[in-house]
Amino acid sequence: MTSSILFKSLPVSLLYCILLIPIPLYFYWGIVNQLGPDPLRFLEHKYGELGLIFLLITLSISPLFKYAKINLVRYRRCIGLVAFYYIVSHICVYFFLDIGLSIDILLSDLQKRYYIIAGFFAFITLIPLALTSNNFALRKLNIKTWNRIHSFIYIAIVLSIFHFILMSKTWTGELYLYTGITIFILILKIKSTKIYKKLSTYSNADISK
Amino acid sequence: MKILKYSDVTPHNLYLNRRKFVEALGLTSLAFVATPTTAKQSYSTSAKPNTIDEITNYNNFYEFGTSKTDPAKYAHSLTTDPWEITFEGVSQNKKKFDLPEILKGKAIQERIYRLRCVEGWSMVIPWIGFPLRDLINELEIDNNAKFVAFETVYRPTEMRGQKRATLDWPYREGLTIEEALHPLTFIATGLYGKELPNQNGAPFRLVVPWKYGFKSIKSITKISFMKEQPYTTWSSENPREYGFYSNVNPNVDHPRWSQATERVIGEGLFGERRKTELFNGYIEEVGDLYKGMDLKKYY
Repeated sequence: MTSSILFKSLPVSLLYCILLIPIPLYFYWGIVNQLGPDPLRFLEHKYGELGLIFLLITLSISPLFKYAKINLVRYRRCIGLVAFYYIVSHICVYFFLDIGLSIDILLSDLQKRYYIIAGFFAFITLIPLALTSNNFALRKLNIKTWNRIHSFIYIAIVLSIFHFILMSKTWTGELYLYTGITIFILILKIKSTKIYKKLSTYSNADISK
Repeated sequence: MKILKYSDVTPHNLYLNRRKFVEALGLTSLAFVATPTTAKQSYSTSAKPNTIDEITNYNNFYEFGTSKTDPAKYAHSLTTDPWEITFEGVSQNKKKFDLPEILKGKAIQERIYRLRCVEGWSMVIPWIGFPLRDLINELEIDNNAKFVAFETVYRPTEMRGQKRATLDWPYREGLTIEEALHPLTFIATGLYGKELPNQNGAPFRLVVPWKYGFKSIKSITKISFMKEQPYTTWSSENPREYGFYSNVNPNVDHPRWSQATERVIGEGLFGERRKTELFNGYIEEVGDLYKGMDLKKYY
């Protein structure tokens, strides 16, 4: 009994370790000046980009199961939390190193800079998800509430993509890729909503008449 | 009108002595109203230059890709020899010159300039080259020319970034004729005493130290003198964010970020930000060019 629990839970905790290693590793490389001429921007962007990638992976797990029958559901919480830790690291680099703890700059950025506003709200949206990504919360909350909270991830990903688009100078390859994946995931999600299904049955019914 | 050429007013032996050379620049300024009389003898900054490694591995040169490391990876594919530059808006018969023809007789000097990028970072670069005015003064420019337009080479087979429409190729930039004739405005053909690496805009690039870096167009093949303000790439791409002038100015923010301070490349992860200076510290030299101009409107 205990050995089977161990067997089941070990890979997930191992996955945590593997996926989180880059956070201290990149930071160490930054300290020893191995991240190129602009280590601060590199670190800031790397954490942010990895946060976005892990968010997208988290979002892909449900359509992968549904359409491709690949079951990674058991890793979803882990990957989602990893995404959150990268985003926290990203914000720490911005706040502690980039703007040097300046509340003035932070407040002016939050008033004037659209990409920072979008990123800030993306982060705020993710906080309740991170706080309820544990068995305790799952037990305490009813499943409807819990599901509703966790559907915030769709708001977070849209805000994150806006954050990325608004800070970019031009449309780069990565930007096309991440935006494309996001749109694809959103289309799949919309297709699986009740409202969409109802609407499509109605329109199909109309056609068949 | 007889166009006064640089060689008409500068005895050749003056080229040899740097200090005297600068005096010679003062002499030529009689021919051009725009030159400020307060110009310093040395235009270089005393700040410590960045390492060659930093200067050649952190470049914005979208012709080779949008990442800062792309130019170092891919710029070697550009053929920089032979190199031809075409001039338009000049009345002389010969309008195309090979690079050696242009460099012939030019007094090559070093200029250590701080390059302030519109993205909010800066680095210090020891360029090798000559003031653009040395070249302009050799040309027979149309009398009514008020602007100078520059064009980067368009060669998608050698510049992989040009295969994608990241920007409206070829890259184009421009200056007013007064800005172009300013003694600070420099043509760089080298770096750290050596030939200019491809990723830094070889073999012939502009350096305008009081403007944001994107004004300093790389790998130039065409220079045109014209009456109207020319098309310039970034200001056309996004006119709200990038102006024609694009003078370094801590008081005029980029719509998406502050320009008050800059990250100093080479200072490491915990480096302190530097306060950005108006005209990148050249207010004494270039302030007169913009006297009475609303810098918030003409950003």
